[in-house]
Amino acid sequence: MAKIISIHSFRGGTGKSNTAANLAALLASDGQKVGVVDTDIQSPGIHVLFGIDQSAIQYTLNDFLWGKCEIRHAAYDASAVQGIAPPGKLFLIPSSVKAGDIARVLHDGYDVNLLRDGFQHLTTQLSLDYLFIDTHPGLNEETLLSIALSDVLLIILRPDKQDYQGSAVTVEVSRQLEVPRLMLLVNKAPALLDETDLKQKVAKTYHCDVAGLIPHSDEMMILASNAIFALQYPHHPVTERYRQVVKILKSSFL
Amino acid sequence: MHLLSGKRVFQNLARWGVLWALIYGLMNVLSNQFTLPAAPIISLRPQVALPMTIGFFYGPIPGFITGFLGNMFGDGLFGYGFLQFWNWHVANGLMGMLPGGVSRWKNLGTIKSVRDFGMIEATVVLACFVSVGVAVCLDLLFLHTMRFPESLNAWILPAFIFNAVGGFILVPVFFLLARRLVVTIETRTIFLVTALLVTAILATSITITWAMYDNLTSYDAIVEAVYFSGMVSVILVIAGFGSSIYFVKRITDPVTLLTQAAESVEQGDYDLQSIQSVSGRTDELGRLARMMQSMASKIQHREQTLKSQVRQLQIAIDQKKLDRDLAEIVETDYFQGLRNRVREFRKK
Repeated sequence: MAKIISIHSFRGGTGKSNTAANLAALLASDGQKVGVVDTDIQSPGIHVLFGIDQSAIQYTLNDFLWGKCEIRHAAYDASAVQGIAPPGKLFLIPSSVKAGDIARVLHDGYDVNLLRDGFQHLTTQLSLDYLFIDTHPGLNEETLLSIALSDVLLIILRPDKQDYQGSAVTVEVSRQLEVPRLMLLVNKAPALLDETDLKQKVAKTYHCDVAGLIPHSDEMMILASNAIFALQYPHHPVTERYRQVVKILKSSFL
Repeated sequence: MHLLSGKRVFQNLARWGVLWALIYGLMNVLSNQFTLPAAPIISLRPQVALPMTIGFFYGPIPGFITGFLGNMFGDGLFGYGFLQFWNWHVANGLMGMLPGGVSRWKNLGTIKSVRDFGMIEATVVLACFVSVGVAVCLDLLFLHTMRFPESLNAWILPAFIFNAVGGFILVPVFFLLARRLVVTIETRTIFLVTALLVTAILATSITITWAMYDNLTSYDAIVEAVYFSGMVSVILVIAGFGSSIYFVKRITDPVTLLTQAAESVEQGDYDLQSIQSVSGRTDELGRLARMMQSMASKIQHREQTLKSQVRQLQIAIDQKKLDRDLAEIVETDYFQGLRNRVREFRKK
């Protein structure tokens, strides 16, 4: 069974999609088969980074769960576009968050087991090693489901007051849901902050491991808007930080 | 292969001064056609800048070769005989050799500052003085062609005056043409000031001499007038140049200091003690220096404030709000159900 890694942040704009795409891409270029489930295809999101045209997206994870299509119809292979060599594979699996779909999920008593089965089908049919879930910001019911199913929950926070408070809620909720492994990732850290000091403070506040700290980079803000940064700039210091996070993620499954 | 070796031979001839000696010789033949009214043997020879320049560029030996061979070649072609006035060959050689030695000693292959410019001009005047002196001494010792005091006016003074003025003007021009004058505010200013100074003094001196020319009746009076104005020009040029160096440095040194200070701020060093002397000035440079100091101290203050804020940064969690937010999620039926189901399948 593939390892399920959920990426969550309490507020939007923390760089969640970017982090998911970069970590997944680095694992894939390391020879792993990786899927990324995007829970938000309405706003321009992760498919742009993967180089997939939105009009090409016909089926979503929801359609597969409801028996409307085969899983291969909902998975879009981005390996060729992103230049990932076999055996590495990089798939994007969009899932619908349309209001009607969510209402239907809740009304039909859509439960954990169904989603878990769905993920299982997905990972066995695509023989995935890792499945990233790019969750919705906040803690709606769908997000709680994704968190509940993860092997690792990676909480992204920026070093500011609101993110500190919100992340505390997510940390407590995921503890109650008994997520096996919980990690924090400090993103967009201003260059002035003392990195070691900040990491220690965060770890101490949440009693939780800090997987890494990604410094704020203007360069990345400009370059990363329409491509996967780590693949475009494999030697950039920020990419090196992502590699360290990947290393920690991998070691957490040993 | 053949062409390549030909090119190399050519390069070596230039490198060692032989080629320049040929050019110098030809120019001497040409300039010998036009002698001064008062000094029939010594002609206007601005080309003396050539052996001096070759000395500065390539060193003492190429400088000597250019001067020595060039003068010998010129004399021979003109009909003085190749070795007749050998003391002047030696003198011309020394005129190239001395700048070559100074250039090696003080690294004057390129002009980078007012200091380099000043040393080069001083060397030019010194080289002219020494070379004429040596020519005179050799004549006194071996050739015995000179008569005193006649030769002083006929040979010695004119050779020194016109060589010095020619070299003084043309050597920096050759540096400029050979792109060996690094263009900075310093070098640009001193070059401009020197050009203005020399033009003004020579123009005045020539005009005055010319104006008097028709009124001078005897040969001796003409000679005296020409060399008097010549010597005055040389003294004025030297004095004027010395004071220009002083005034130019008064302007350009602070600019250099301010540039270095801006560089050190860029490197993160905000201590601008180095421009304290500049900030005491009342002119624009002083204002600029004071503004830079005030800007640097403001930046330093802001950075320190930010750093201390970051150090004091605490991650504050509002526990009451956290409990309230948590309860809102955790106490729902949905969450309770989810938690129970998750527990079940985690057990499997």
